[in-house]
Amino acid sequence: MLAELIETIAKIMFIFGVNMGFFTPILGWVERKQSAVMQDRVGANRADIFGFRVIGLLHILADAIKVLTKEDFVPAGANKFFHTLAPFISLTPALVTFAVIPFGGQYEIFGHKVNLVIADLDIGILFIFAFASLATYGTVLAGWSSNNNWSFLGGMRASAQMLSYEVAMGLSIIGVIMVYSSLKLTEIGAMQAEFFRWGIFLQPVGFILFLTCAIAENKRAPFDIPEAESEIVAGYFTEYSSMKFVMFWMGEFLEIVTISGIITTLFFGAWHIPFVSNEMLLSIFGFAGPDGANILTMLINIATFFVKIIFFIWLQMTIRWTLPRFRYDQIMKLGWKILLPLALINIFITGLVLLVK
Amino acid sequence: MSYELNYTIGSIPLEKLKPKKVRKNIELTLWERLYIPEIVRGMIITTRHFVQNMAGFIFPPNGKKRRVFTVYYPEEKLTIPIAYRGRPVLVMREDGTERCVACGLCESICPAFAISIVGGERRRENEMERYPVTYTLDMSRCVYCGFCEEVCPKEAIAMSDEYEELAERDRNRMIYPKEKLLVSEKRLKNRIDYVRKIYSKNNYNAK
Amino acid sequence: MSDLKKTLPTEYMVLNMGPSHPVTHGTVKFLVTLDGETIVDFVVDIGYLHRGFEKMCENSTWEQVFPYTDRLNYVPPMINNVGYALAVEKLLGIDVPERNKYIRVIASELSRISDHLTNVAASGLELGAFTAFLYFVEARELVWDMLESLCGARLTSNYVRIGGLKNDLPEDFKDQTTAVFKRCRELWSDVDKLLTKNRIFIDRVRDVGIMPPDEAIAWGFTGPCLRASGVPYDVRKANPYLVYDRMDFEIPIGEKGDNFDRYLVRMEEIIQSMRIVEQALKEIPSGPINVDMPEYRWQSKDDIYNKIESLIFHFKTVTEGIKPPPGEVYFAVEGTNGELGFYLVSDGRGKPYKCRVRPPCFPLTAAMPRMIKGSLIADVVPTFDMINMIGGECDR
Repeated sequence: MLAELIETIAKIMFIFGVNMGFFTPILGWVERKQSAVMQDRVGANRADIFGFRVIGLLHILADAIKVLTKEDFVPAGANKFFHTLAPFISLTPALVTFAVIPFGGQYEIFGHKVNLVIADLDIGILFIFAFASLATYGTVLAGWSSNNNWSFLGGMRASAQMLSYEVAMGLSIIGVIMVYSSLKLTEIGAMQAEFFRWGIFLQPVGFILFLTCAIAENKRAPFDIPEAESEIVAGYFTEYSSMKFVMFWMGEFLEIVTISGIITTLFFGAWHIPFVSNEMLLSIFGFAGPDGANILTMLINIATFFVKIIFFIWLQMTIRWTLPRFRYDQIMKLGWKILLPLALINIFITGLVLLVK
Repeated sequence: MSYELNYTIGSIPLEKLKPKKVRKNIELTLWERLYIPEIVRGMIITTRHFVQNMAGFIFPPNGKKRRVFTVYYPEEKLTIPIAYRGRPVLVMREDGTERCVACGLCESICPAFAISIVGGERRRENEMERYPVTYTLDMSRCVYCGFCEEVCPKEAIAMSDEYEELAERDRNRMIYPKEKLLVSEKRLKNRIDYVRKIYSKNNYNAK
Repeated sequence: MSDLKKTLPTEYMVLNMGPSHPVTHGTVKFLVTLDGETIVDFVVDIGYLHRGFEKMCENSTWEQVFPYTDRLNYVPPMINNVGYALAVEKLLGIDVPERNKYIRVIASELSRISDHLTNVAASGLELGAFTAFLYFVEARELVWDMLESLCGARLTSNYVRIGGLKNDLPEDFKDQTTAVFKRCRELWSDVDKLLTKNRIFIDRVRDVGIMPPDEAIAWGFTGPCLRASGVPYDVRKANPYLVYDRMDFEIPIGEKGDNFDRYLVRMEEIIQSMRIVEQALKEIPSGPINVDMPEYRWQSKDDIYNKIESLIFHFKTVTEGIKPPPGEVYFAVEGTNGELGFYLVSDGRGKPYKCRVRPPCFPLTAAMPRMIKGSLIADVVPTFDMINMIGGECDR
């Protein structure tokens, strides 16, 4: 009992630490630097402590200090309660969803079974979707409560876009669920031990659909019309400042990580290394004794998982800095007229194949 | 809908105008209709730039510090061409007096009315000579056009290569008195030679 | 839907876009009336950058106008310089040396390249393609480096003089051009690959802001926007000045007059301008660049330093200004947005009696409501970008 409690707390601390302590701050830096190098620039590198610049990493610190000391401004006529609530609503779901994403398999260490997922729910995928749709309220409330025309337009756009893409996103996953016949993310992950059983080979269309819808859900370019700065200034967070403003950004960055985690789990073999099974790893690490081998394998698996996540973060960043943005009606058209039918066709074909088998 | 090309300009024949249709197709082709291939192509280009630039950071190409175009400004500086027009300065002779004779040509040509001169006379090497008692240049008005240098008959004012530390928080400090404008001949030699070269007789049509 | 409207009271939303809004990169204000996202009414409010250019000219000598013209359309200042100089030269009835003409062509075309690069890049930026923007800004930076080595400044060139030029080409200009154009072409093809066939970009600009050729002519369009409608009108061909009649270049024309055509025309014009510069550098003769007319062009330093008559005459021309014969003249050059005309009136004194500029982007801006009404608010972005309204030129 105590061991389980310690295990759960350790896992929560790990995920929370990795997400809030590593990914959120570092993604701000990555976004700046990656876009800069892509665009033949250098990127922010001026913040220094005693002359040490550490390739711009200190900007994270500078930003944090700046953000915490800025005035927290609430415009006149704004609904103060909802104005304050909105950033929390958009930040929390991104953080919570990670609870059901497994970042490793099951290992037996010192006679104790360790399952590397915080909450091994039977309805893992449904849980993710339930919380992802909560994030919509954050943006809509932010747009509505700011008492600003631009924010209002942004909030309206955000709600329309996110509602439409939620449908296609949900349907794009159904193919995967059908193939693996499970809603449990740990099981789906475990079933991808073999390289050619990875989701990307079984559900290539589903992957593209999911990636598209996920980026749209996250409101990043090319789907960033709710915050399109050249049209509606900054959209739903025009009237936000200081820490509340940053919470939207943190929510966005965390969602990038979460999306990468889901994609990795569903389509890219979760914690498995291609062509290297866990048994092979165990036999390689045999010199460390059974427990040591298990621990080393676990660490390797966690590392693999996060390397994959980092790759997908890089992919999303590249997409964001390469493409121009859609127009409002084109996004709707893409969502309802292209992605939704494609998802349905995908389900249909998957069903046929499964039936024939 | 597309429009037929039936617009000619005056009596100029179309062959001479050489119109070139740049639009390949009015409707989207199948290739363009598919989002993915062109998106992937775009990402290949940006990734290529990314990889090249990263390599340029780690292994700088010959003679350069990095592959990207950026210059880290206060530490590194661009080499500015000789033609560059920085802040105007007065040329100072070796004995510390100015070449300027307070003729007022620069004052009258200045399109921004930035220069004001009060002339006077003094004795130098047993000769009376005119000199500017005050020579004030309002740097908050100066537009760096270089007319003062071009009209000056005594090579007494020149556009230096200085472009730094010209901003001030107080406008009054941007009004430069004579003392702040004087720069020794030696430092301005290149520029004075350049000015002499570009306005030399060779560049004028012989009668 | 109509029943719904009866029971649900809806109202239009009025938005003030600008004067300080990301899309209005000049200072301009739009009063937009929206029905949902659709634009019902659109009013352009210009004049935020009015500096009294024309009145200032009346109070300065003919020569002193050059720095002011730099600030009209500030991205390609050389073209303004050249246009004004040619207008005054027409008034004076003088002809400039051959080498001068070639250098003026080179300077104008380099400026045109820099302006089109800026324009295409800025439209890309505002449509979200930040990377394309920075690739073109890099190319523009290189072109501006060339202009800097030519005239000593990036934007405020003040390079052309009446009957002459400030200075000759620098010695290594040809090699510099070769190197710069090589890199520019690379970046051009990168941006071309990023945008021209990208469905997202095409969707944003295609069939938006359509202007049929008849209406375009009626509204007074010139330049790339008119050529995008399919009318091959280019002052450089229709009324050749300098040595443009000796250059081999094509006029890119569009077919439909939408923003995609305007984008393509501008992209092609960058290439054509590079061709012109290369040809001009190949054919350029050696020789003088200034006319030897002390009454119109300030004399050489050699004369001023050595001859007392020259010095006295120099004082007279500088302080009083050159004195063109009384009369009026209109001269147009091909600016980057269209026909940039200078209408000058002289009363025989040292200052212009009137110096009127025909700004090419004024008619274009005036046609904004015609092009934008009925489309979505997001369409303001590409349309206004492709109009390329420059506050300094439009408001003067």
